[in-house]
Amino acid sequence: MNLSHLSSPVTVNWGITARCNFECSHCFSRLDISPELSGEEALRVVDILAGHNVMFVNYGTGEPLLREDLFPLTEYAVSCGLKATMNSNGSLISRETAGRIRRAGFHSVGISIDSADAKTHDAFRRMQGSFDMAVGAARFLKEEGVPLSISSVICRVNHRDFPALVSMAKGLGAHTIDLHNFKCSGMGGLNRENFDLSPPEWKAFYEAAIPMRRAEKGIEIAFDDPIMSLLGEEESGKLVAGSVCGKLSLYIRPDGEITPCGFIPVPIGHILKDDLGKVWNESRLLAHLRGKAAAGKCAGCGKFSSCLGGCPARSYAVHGAYDAPDPHCWADE
Amino acid sequence: MIPKKNPEVVWRLEKGMHEMAWGKARKDEEYEDMGVITLMIGGSIHQLNLVGAEIWTRINGVNSLKKISRDIASLFGWEEKETEEAVMQFLKGIEERGWVTLQEKAGPAGPKWQGH
Ligand code: SF4
Repeated sequence: MNLSHLSSPVTVNWGITARCNFECSHCFSRLDISPELSGEEALRVVDILAGHNVMFVNYGTGEPLLREDLFPLTEYAVSCGLKATMNSNGSLISRETAGRIRRAGFHSVGISIDSADAKTHDAFRRMQGSFDMAVGAARFLKEEGVPLSISSVICRVNHRDFPALVSMAKGLGAHTIDLHNFKCSGMGGLNRENFDLSPPEWKAFYEAAIPMRRAEKGIEIAFDDPIMSLLGEEESGKLVAGSVCGKLSLYIRPDGEITPCGFIPVPIGHILKDDLGKVWNESRLLAHLRGKAAAGKCAGCGKFSSCLGGCPARSYAVHGAYDAPDPHCWADE
Repeated sequence: MIPKKNPEVVWRLEKGMHEMAWGKARKDEEYEDMGVITLMIGGSIHQLNLVGAEIWTRINGVNSLKKISRDIASLFGWEEKETEEAVMQFLKGIEERGWVTLQEKAGPAGPKWQGH
């Protein structure tokens, strides 16, 4: 069945802090100087999310573990029925911290590893020793029994070597490896020339990754990109056409501003000042993203009904228009 | 037979949709395509319609197929035998997807979903 209009987002990606001890080459949030919410305000955010039956809250943006109240906040979120997850660079996860993460009730924790080769990872993350710290963190989490995923940004440094990353994630005991496509927002926008793939390269990546995902039994290989429709990959269990942002998920910036996703820096409300249900149901930008119009080459494309013009964040970052064809799209290339 | 939910399934009742679907069902209008429960497992998202939702919310590791079918038949005013067959088919379908296990007898209760 098609997705009925959801009463609220299924997942809220929450940038609980913009602070980070790394300065990765691709990071969308390194240019974010917004102040973060106080501990008391953060607890109110949890109440709001739980009150709207949001199912998952995923902490990210800077390094979540730099937030001093992360554990009590998570314990509270879990007690309110939310499933809490986070993405971390792993550098602050000792064995003891891993135990604290388990006790706080995290549903799963994602550790960023972008290459099975330590030097490549360290260069991309611009931090010597970051590979070893990430692998160490993954091992500590596993030993503590925290469900583990590995998060990788597919780009020029790893697009041909991702099978080695998958093997490594499997070896670390991750339940999932998330292969995120490179986004040209923040530092990613400034470094696009160095890291983004050309449309034919994206095609080649998906042509290799899709059969691997189908065949792999030991780990879930997760990736999602509307332009995969061009390869006949209309996802089952996806429920929505095009990008999931603003349809299944929303993003909260460190200062509480709500945006459709982390890569679309356009506020549509504030989590503490506006009613989340009203924002979800009445935002003009969300309505626009949910009912995108075909523009340019998309107008003549037979895949528009499932692709909806691809990722609006990429179109917005590169062309300044949500409806413009996705810059990664290889149709007519 | 006793169905039991997979504790890894995270789900919620869609606010408003449940009442809206019942409103339509009572007026003999189409409600089958309305998503009443949203459910996630292993990164995939799915929805159940009103009938699926009424079955799903009765699965607790204690209620038997017979008990659930009787409830559904009485809720929707359907014939009991046919309803049991339809409920059985639904349960087999979601068992294949890994959302429930089907046991002959009530086993030890699984972890309770901590949702809202
Ligand atoms: S042309 Fe537009 S609709 Fe077609 S696959 Fe490319 S981005 Fe999607």
